[in-house]
Amino acid sequence: MQREERTPPDKTAPGVFDDRRAQVEAERCLYCFDAPCTSACPVHIDIPAFIAMLRSGNAPGAAWLVRNANALADTCGRICPSEVYCQPACTRGKQDAPVRIRELHLYATRSERAREFHPGTSPPTGKSVAVLGAGPAGLGCAFELAKFGHHVDLYNDGPPGGVPLKSIPPFRLPEEDLVHDTGMLGRFFTAHDGTIDAPVFGGITRNHDALFIAVGLGRDRSLGIPGEEMESVFPVLEFLETAKKRPHTLRIGSRVIVVGGGNVSLDAAATARRLGAAEVTLLYRRGEQQMLVWSAEIREARRLGVEFRFHAKPFEIVGRGRVESVKCRTMRPGGENDDSGRPVPVEVPGADFFLPADSVIVAIGQDVSADWLTGLSRTKKGFISVDGKFQSSMAGVFAGGDAVSGEGTVVRSLAHGKQAARAIHEYIMRKG
Amino acid sequence: MKSEQDGAAGTAPVRDLSYELLGIQIENPFILAAGPSTDDIDMVRRAFSMGWAGAVLKTTSVEGTRVDLAYPMISSFNHDGKLLFGMGNIDLISAHHIDRVEATVRTLKTEFPGKLVAASIMAGKKDDWQSLVGRLENAGADLIECSFSCPQGNIGEDPGKMLAQSVAATELTARWVKEAARRIPVSIKITPQVTDIVDVARAVQRSGADALTASNSVQALMGIDIYSFVPNPPLAGKSTYSGLTGPAIKPMTLRTIAEIARHVTIPVLGTGGASSWRDAVEFMSVGARCVQFCTLVMHHGFRVIDDLRSGLSNYMDDMGFSSPLDIVGRALPHLAVHDNLPRRVVRSVIDESRCIGCEVCYVACRDGGHAAIDRRESRIPLVNPERCVGCGLCPLVCPEACISLAEA
Ligand SMILES: Cc1cc2nc3c(=O)[nH]c(=O)nc-3n(C[C@H](O)[C@H](O)[C@H](O)COP(=O)(O)OP(=O)(O)OC[C@H]3O[C@@H](n4cnc5c(N)ncnc54)[C@H](O)[C@@H]3O)c2cc1C
Ligand SMILES: Cc1cc2nc3c(=O)[nH]c(=O)nc-3n(C[C@H](O)[C@H](O)[C@H](O)COP(=O)(O)O)c2cc1C
Ligand code: SF4
Ligand code: SF4
Ligand code: SF4
Repeated sequence: MQREERTPPDKTAPGVFDDRRAQVEAERCLYCFDAPCTSACPVHIDIPAFIAMLRSGNAPGAAWLVRNANALADTCGRICPSEVYCQPACTRGKQDAPVRIRELHLYATRSERAREFHPGTSPPTGKSVAVLGAGPAGLGCAFELAKFGHHVDLYNDGPPGGVPLKSIPPFRLPEEDLVHDTGMLGRFFTAHDGTIDAPVFGGITRNHDALFIAVGLGRDRSLGIPGEEMESVFPVLEFLETAKKRPHTLRIGSRVIVVGGGNVSLDAAATARRLGAAEVTLLYRRGEQQMLVWSAEIREARRLGVEFRFHAKPFEIVGRGRVESVKCRTMRPGGENDDSGRPVPVEVPGADFFLPADSVIVAIGQDVSADWLTGLSRTKKGFISVDGKFQSSMAGVFAGGDAVSGEGTVVRSLAHGKQAARAIHEYIMRKG
Repeated sequence: MKSEQDGAAGTAPVRDLSYELLGIQIENPFILAAGPSTDDIDMVRRAFSMGWAGAVLKTTSVEGTRVDLAYPMISSFNHDGKLLFGMGNIDLISAHHIDRVEATVRTLKTEFPGKLVAASIMAGKKDDWQSLVGRLENAGADLIECSFSCPQGNIGEDPGKMLAQSVAATELTARWVKEAARRIPVSIKITPQVTDIVDVARAVQRSGADALTASNSVQALMGIDIYSFVPNPPLAGKSTYSGLTGPAIKPMTLRTIAEIARHVTIPVLGTGGASSWRDAVEFMSVGARCVQFCTLVMHHGFRVIDDLRSGLSNYMDDMGFSSPLDIVGRALPHLAVHDNLPRRVVRSVIDESRCIGCEVCYVACRDGGHAAIDRRESRIPLVNPERCVGCGLCPLVCPEACISLAEA
């Protein structure tokens, strides 16, 4: 870092460490052996090694290590939830505070942006694998398969990027970071743009040695209550996608109710505020402690003035064509716990209330939308069933990402893709 | 326990770093110095498979040499929260029998024909030096390194004193060794603690030896427990002087190598305080042809080789160098005696946009410079160009690196 930079890092980008900050932070790392941070990172970036490289002034080496392990390095450098993986595991946290690993690797890869990236690739094997879905899981798998020397056909409806491209709001993930990642990956696969349906799927199956299905979760769950068909009731993915692509076409009015208590609801609430809604209320049937969210997101929503109504759920949306109000029922934690280990919410009789609203955003989860995908066993929640090696119930068909385990994270999906690629490689090489 | 992480992440691509050193083809300039990491064949095997280009095995001697180790033998000079900024050791030569060292050389050369395997020796009498050379040469060693500089003193005639502290003894002994080495090169490992390093280097050159290894640890007293007054390392109330190694001695080594390279023509093998690929580049830029590492590996393990290789590789790409040898000696033309230094007028300049207002520069200049920095309400200091002489102190203390010197 003391060297005169030949490829000057983009020092202007907000949220990216400058050289000095990176140096100071890198020096905090203890260089643990068999480091817990690396084990905790789903894609196992060799964290102490890349930090030591930053410390020695070898930013290109650091960036290479990060990128080789993480196909969406800049994206994760922006939105990997720092409270979930590497940072809570960091040994330095036992002394004072964890090393800010995510920001250090964002610094490393961003400061080496101008340099070409060449992973070690094996010679071509003559095998070909189809990857269905170009979200994090599909991209992670395609990258790894290409490194093994296999040809990869990547099928996706639209440009690669999955949920991060379509739905994650730009104020959390600058599009240029994602596009830089996907651009780097472009030469590792042949892209096929188009919607996969039953005939297309049949064709793909016949023409490849193995398949990896990574279609994510495309279908918003609905509330199943009266009034949901009204024009100003938005399924959350549709809302976020439109907010990204054509924000001016969204008519949400000034009072918005977001139903649901996850990160996606928080993104929707924050987006609604940024679109100009004066009052945004998040309605959640459990308490704040039960929200499965990252604290940075909830802080950001509060900062933007989002109101929270806990222990309440809607049971009817009232209006004529457009929403006018929402009838809500008060809830309380019941005695029993559900699958997630949280108390099942139960209704409190006689405590219903009205909330005036111009629109409602429904963010209560998503399901797999691939109806064309018949013949594969599903879990009872409708996700694709796979074994420990991401092999589905059909030989040669592998699956990963949110489509097998529900709403997750970018880095977890990448890890699925990476692990599946290894299993696919073993499978097709064994098959001969 | 095998780590799931071993080798999983891959290593950054490295360009060709190979070149010829004393007629031996080596993969890269990074060699393990004689020390604990090279005293065991399995350790060297692991280092080689991880990418180290060679190793100088821990110093051996003739049968019957007493190696009476005393423990603990290592102590630390910590500075400002940095552990092992300097390492002290009261180690002696290898406790293994010469037969075992000979077998190690033979096995390593069979298993790793492309790696540099050097044997380090130390003895007293002429016959002993020469028989050691003969045996290790026959075992297949690529290079003999002679320790004339063990800080725990010499074996033989003048105990307590290092051989390389006598110019005459250095020349004589080096001649014996060179005489005995019929096929392979010999390097003499010297101490920086002499009145005139150039005299010693010239003596080595006159002896006919092929190279100098510069330089070994620096004899030092590692510290005192101020409550018991027992120095470090403590051995039941007693202690002794240690050999100081690691980052603390790097600037001394740089000067030693530079002085030697300016005055003799035989190559220098660098050692003494290198702890990164940058240090290695610095060593080479003042004349070293390769760089040996000991303390760094003792602290962080063989894994540091990944950064050494990748860092050097990227650096060479940036600089447009095609071989590590392109670095050798590049800094030497920039050295001059004080009288011949250019005289110019410089002043310090603070980049106010980056200043964090710690006022560390202010106090340093007030009490250690020329009181040329004034305080302001904003806590952003102001350099007074009338008083600033451009001594260069304030940029060195600024934690934000926001002070520079500019031509006035
Ligand atoms: C609003 C929101 C915010 C999030 N924030 C974060 C965050 O901050 N940090 C984090 O780590 N994770 C976050 N996540 C989660 C993360 O985005 C997902 O876990 C991840 O994208 C899942 O990756 P995937 O590859 O399994 O699926 P997806 O990203 O859903 O990708 C699936 C791809 O398949 C394509 N596809 C599906 N069906 C078809 C078809 N029939 N034909 C052609 N193509 C098809 C889709 O268009 C898409 O490109 C967030 C998710 C959401 C919804
Ligand atoms: C514990 C220890 C044992 C050593 N033993 C030897 C030895 O047997 N022979 C020798 O020539 N040098 C020996 N050295 C010196 C190293 O080879 C090396 O020259 C020195 O440590 C300086 O380099 P460094 O700063 O990279 O450690 C030893 C050093 C240490 C720390
Ligand atoms: S990808 Fe996520 S978990 Fe892995 S190192 Fe980066 S921030 Fe940590
Ligand atoms: S756990 Fe923390 S301190 Fe240890 S290597 Fe990882 S980042 Fe560094
Ligand atoms: S040392 Fe640097 S940061 Fe501190 S007051 Fe001086 S200029 Fe500002």
